[in-house]
Amino acid sequence: MTSNLKLLSIPLLAGAAVTVALGVYANLHTGTGVAVNVAGFSSPQTVKVWLASGAALFALVQLASALAMYGKLGPNPPAWAGTLHRWSGRIAFLFAVPVAVHCLYALGFSSFDSRTLIHSLLGCFFFGAFTLKMLALPKQGLAGWVLPVLGGLVFTALIGLWLTSSYWFFTTFGVKF
Amino acid sequence: MKRTPVLTLLAGLAVAAVLLVMSAIAANKPADDKVTAANELPASTAAPAPTLSPTPPPTQAPAKVNATWAGVVDGGAATIAIAVKDGVAVAYLCDGKKIEAWLQGTAAAGKLSLTGKNGATLTGTFGGGKATGKIVASGKSWTFTAPTAQPPGGLYRAAQFVNSANVVCGWIVLADGTQVGVCTPDGKEPEPAPRLDVTAARPINPQDPT
Repeated sequence: MTSNLKLLSIPLLAGAAVTVALGVYANLHTGTGVAVNVAGFSSPQTVKVWLASGAALFALVQLASALAMYGKLGPNPPAWAGTLHRWSGRIAFLFAVPVAVHCLYALGFSSFDSRTLIHSLLGCFFFGAFTLKMLALPKQGLAGWVLPVLGGLVFTALIGLWLTSSYWFFTTFGVKF
Repeated sequence: MKRTPVLTLLAGLAVAAVLLVMSAIAANKPADDKVTAANELPASTAAPAPTLSPTPPPTQAPAKVNATWAGVVDGGAATIAIAVKDGVAVAYLCDGKKIEAWLQGTAAAGKLSLTGKNGATLTGTFGGGKATGKIVASGKSWTFTAPTAQPPGGLYRAAQFVNSANVVCGWIVLADGTQVGVCTPDGKEPEPAPRLDVTAARPINPQDPT
């Protein structure tokens, strides 16, 4: 237990720093209402909704490939499960980054209802948890449960973010591009 | 091989940095002429003289917007009110009979951007003591120019539990004292609202509209 904490101390500090930094920036920076848009979509909101949905989809691939790697989907998992896990994770992360930039730059931390409050808190938490997971990955000698727990936190946060944004958007405004 | 997680993080950071720079360029383009609007200063044709402003011009961090506008939409079919506290905006469109729409969003850098249920949207600009823009609700769209509301003019909202149903009422009070409002019981059609006692009621708080 102590060796886990020792190994994880720097990743934990880095993750916490990311979460706090995002929260402080989102609170202090006045939302501009303006950010770059992607051609082909009707508004920056729909871009975000679909990028977040892409990230959530790859997060599901993450869950499945992780289960396969740990032999939960049957013994002798295929060798490509690890590759699939790494690349689906990279793609999901790269989908999430532009969404976060727009949230932070154009909107900022918001608490005018429980949905926006939960979304704001989870958004800050997600990138901290992801940083922690990435920095913990190369550490050798971690207990076997550490990576699945960290991955589970990242996955849960991302799905929570999707539910409080894209899912809310689809059920409130309908499925739009 | 063991360094790839760090590379992933750095790649994400690089993408974020590029997008931030692009967003800053996109946001600053129209910002020059919106700085005064953001603070609801009276529109002045001349460049601000240094003697007039002992405080530095708020180019870096525009003050958060606090304002209320209320008026009649073009054509006179409905009234609209927009209340803003610290940049958080609530708008209400109402014809006093059947049509109503609540919208939430932001007011910053001279721009209004709000959305509501069933695809309702409001986009517009503000400054110089008025807000102008376009609102889409119930499948229709209206343009409007609404002046700054002076108390007791403005936007009021009340939610109450009556006869085992939630009833939400909204009132827009115009400068001449005219009230336009409806009450909507949960899942039912709106009906005209009773007259609001503006001496006792408090205007809506956009950050806590319920």
